[in-house]
Amino acid sequence: MIYILRRVAFYLAAFFVAVTLNFFIPRIMPGDPSARIIASFQGRLNDAQVEAIRASYGTTGSLWEQYIGYVGQVLRMDFGISTVQFPEPTSSLLFYGATWTLVLVGIAITLAFLIGTMMGIHAAWNRGGFFDSVFTPINVMLNAFTPAVVALLLFYAFSLQLQWFPLGRAHSTGLVPSWDPQFIGNVLYHATLPVLSILIVSFGGWHLGMRNVMINLLNEDFVILARAKGLSDRRIRYRYVARNAILPQITSLALSVGFLLGGALVTEQVFNYPGLGKFTVTAIESRDYSFIQAQLLLLTMSALVANLLSDIANVILDPRLRKG
Amino acid sequence: MADITHTPPLTLLDRLDEAAIASAAPSQAELMRELRIKGRPGWTSKLPPSLAAFVTNPKGMTGVIVLLGLILFALLGPVFSEYNPQRRAGKPHVAPGYEHVMGTTRMGKDVYTQLAYGGRMSLAVGFGAGLAAALIGLAVGISAGYFGGRIDDVLTFLVNVVLVLPGLPLIIVIASLVDSAGPLVIGIVLALTGWGWPARTIRTQTMSLRTREFILAAELMGEKKWRIILKEIFPNMLSFFMGGLVLGTIAAILAEAALSFIGLGDSNAVTWGTMLYWAQNNMALQVGAWWEIWPPAIAIMLTGAALVMINFAVDEITNPQLKASRKIGRIRRFLARRGRSADVF
Amino acid sequence: MYSDRVLMQVRNLTVDYVGDHSVARAVNGIDFDIREGEAFGLAGESGCGKSTVAFALARLTRLPGLVSGGEVRLNGEDVLKFDKARLKAYRWNEVSFVFQSAMNALNPVIPVSEQIMDVIETHQPDLGAEGARKRASELFDLVGIPSRRLDDYPHQFSGGMRQRICIAIALALQPRLIIMDEPTTALDVVVQRDIIEQIVELKGRLGFSVLFITHDLGLMIEFCDRIGVMYSGELVEVAPAEAILTNPRHPYTRALGNSFPPLIGPRLRMEGIPGTPPDLRSLPEGCRFAPRCPHAMDVCRSVAPELRAYPELRSEAACHLLN
Repeated sequence: MIYILRRVAFYLAAFFVAVTLNFFIPRIMPGDPSARIIASFQGRLNDAQVEAIRASYGTTGSLWEQYIGYVGQVLRMDFGISTVQFPEPTSSLLFYGATWTLVLVGIAITLAFLIGTMMGIHAAWNRGGFFDSVFTPINVMLNAFTPAVVALLLFYAFSLQLQWFPLGRAHSTGLVPSWDPQFIGNVLYHATLPVLSILIVSFGGWHLGMRNVMINLLNEDFVILARAKGLSDRRIRYRYVARNAILPQITSLALSVGFLLGGALVTEQVFNYPGLGKFTVTAIESRDYSFIQAQLLLLTMSALVANLLSDIANVILDPRLRKG
Repeated sequence: MADITHTPPLTLLDRLDEAAIASAAPSQAELMRELRIKGRPGWTSKLPPSLAAFVTNPKGMTGVIVLLGLILFALLGPVFSEYNPQRRAGKPHVAPGYEHVMGTTRMGKDVYTQLAYGGRMSLAVGFGAGLAAALIGLAVGISAGYFGGRIDDVLTFLVNVVLVLPGLPLIIVIASLVDSAGPLVIGIVLALTGWGWPARTIRTQTMSLRTREFILAAELMGEKKWRIILKEIFPNMLSFFMGGLVLGTIAAILAEAALSFIGLGDSNAVTWGTMLYWAQNNMALQVGAWWEIWPPAIAIMLTGAALVMINFAVDEITNPQLKASRKIGRIRRFLARRGRSADVF
Repeated sequence: MYSDRVLMQVRNLTVDYVGDHSVARAVNGIDFDIREGEAFGLAGESGCGKSTVAFALARLTRLPGLVSGGEVRLNGEDVLKFDKARLKAYRWNEVSFVFQSAMNALNPVIPVSEQIMDVIETHQPDLGAEGARKRASELFDLVGIPSRRLDDYPHQFSGGMRQRICIAIALALQPRLIIMDEPTTALDVVVQRDIIEQIVELKGRLGFSVLFITHDLGLMIEFCDRIGVMYSGELVEVAPAEAILTNPRHPYTRALGNSFPPLIGPRLRMEGIPGTPPDLRSLPEGCRFAPRCPHAMDVCRSVAPELRAYPELRSEAACHLLN
């Protein structure tokens, strides 16, 4: 319990660092931030929009007062008014996009973790064999392929040429979001290619990670003892080796969430998928700073929550962390 | 406890019965021949051991050769081109041919010229950011691991913050505030967000090294701290530094491509990432101009693959257990030939 | 205390470590017997191959190690030729193992009960989970740990208790041979005593043989019936423990004895053995100890001596001096 509390304290501190960065980065740029932002629109804003920007980059009061005000806004989840989709509040756009990104990244990360980890177990167990010699390098190389290319190729081949999959969107127009199987099936159909492109560039990391940790564990006395005991291969592999090797994998899984959420950007752009990444790209093009900043905070929060979940999982799986 | 009254020991002849003689092992030289192990090439004997291990590692050397090829292409490629990468050089979307080896873009720019100049930028950003991140990681990791105490607490906190904060979204915030994020800005930001992993690895390694006898001995002899770090610790961290450099470079090249691809980069700069950006914007695949998209795509993938190969080699050097698995097949066959089950583990 | 019936015959056993560019011969064609009910010790400096022998006997050699030749016979069957099924029956039923570090020998993330019960359930499936658990708590009693702690995790026990648990696991199937590789090295002296006494007591009661490995020659002489002294992968002397102490034949045994303080009597000056063992990748001709041997003769540098029996001395030794 103390362990978890310590971790929570750390995540709060880390979140605070992100909020502070978010506050100071625009302000260390030369000039008045709101004036700069307003200027970049070259008079395409109406008065209400100008006011909204002024409010969210409140240049009234001392820096300290501004900072306190900003922190207050963040804690209320008030990220101001979107300058692009005026007068939508930024937070509602943000959460709409986040939902779809969560669908995409959630499915992709789960599949990548499971597939990569199972392949890693297999490769480590039969190391030096055919599977290990051929697929370990290939899978890891896929990991170093840029998501942009993989997504473009999948889009070109299966959406444009073969037309097996739709050209964009999260679900067919005209369908009302609900939990009925038809709608869920439609969502999965639309998510297939985006998920696949994230999957292709990410499962190799889990494969290599699991393989290397497993191979190192094979040298541990407790694994040698398990062998000496004449236990079945299956039992040694899962209960003695993989059971221990999974612990660092879970920590890496949490650390990769932030990275993958960022990576979804490119995929959503290619597949025209209405997630956070797609909105962020639009926000970048139209210099909607309140959205850009809010997405950083939201993604930071998601990454921290993922890390907290992994800590809890580790406490459940590792009795050594449970005492105290 | 020892019982003194017992039978006389066996004689040598009792021992070496026929079965025992028949099962005798081959000599070391014969064994090396059977397992196809070659002696260390003579020219590597002057190299430091970890470098010698690297240059005899087939995976690592393949990666190095491919990477050197790419670098050479980026450096010398422009020499063979009469075009300017940013200027119109011909008609739009000319297929590869004599005039344009890799065709032209929708804007009529020469793809070969762009690829070579873009390679300079992309590789410079990638290696620059990777190197800077690995250096920061090295400095932070060694300081935290060696000095311990307060310094370690503060640095470890920083490392953990850098690790949990999502890098790409942070880069987007910074890059979007700068009017046009050129390759230099992107490189600096990537370096500042990418040093978490190498710092963590090197801190752990330094901590385990810190308690070793030769470090303690140097301290007892009154050696200055910075000298111990430089002379005793740094050389042992080289391979971990190399690992950080390689992984950091992969991450930076991919991130640069991703950022440019979504239009955050300076779209006037020529990098492999912006080439992809324009290819996507120009619907190159849709109109069948595959030559606009394949060259930068393949270049990025080749770079990634080469770096992955190098990383495999670095892994095998820092972790000999990984390398041992390469010989497993030959050992299996050795045992099978002698009628022995091969439960090699 | 022990019979003359031989339990295990080790013949011409050779183990190599396969490197990238070389082969290191860690064990070079050694022969010895372990008799029923005896405690046989293997002594020698670190790196002499004694643990390598132990792992080979238990069929636990792992990469980059390779048992490249020889036989390990148990009742005439060659252990090294066992197929999968026979090997499974051999493991733990006939030979079990106690490691140096009990902390590392127990899986840190599963309860110790599971680590005792899994071996019982694997080899005696008809006992069922219920029976296996009953047997596990009997084993805990045997080594003096309250059976209510059966479901605790390894980190919840002290070092000595963990080693007792490892011994309990080793006894689970009542094997005929237990290999103990430095079983007490990681423990403090008082706990070390307790553990050794417990092993002696259990051995007397259950009648298993022990292959005992330690670098502590004093402890070994006290615990073992016979001792084999290894140098650079070869056995240089095999003799009753008492003879090793009072009448060592091989110069290396003598030097080794001098480098340890005696258990009883005045503390004498400890003499290290000058020099270092040879490089196992390229071994010298002749006797491997010759470069460090104070009595080396010309013949020692050209002809390797073989292990020969000297019944009148009640020992076997490999040294030209004795001829």
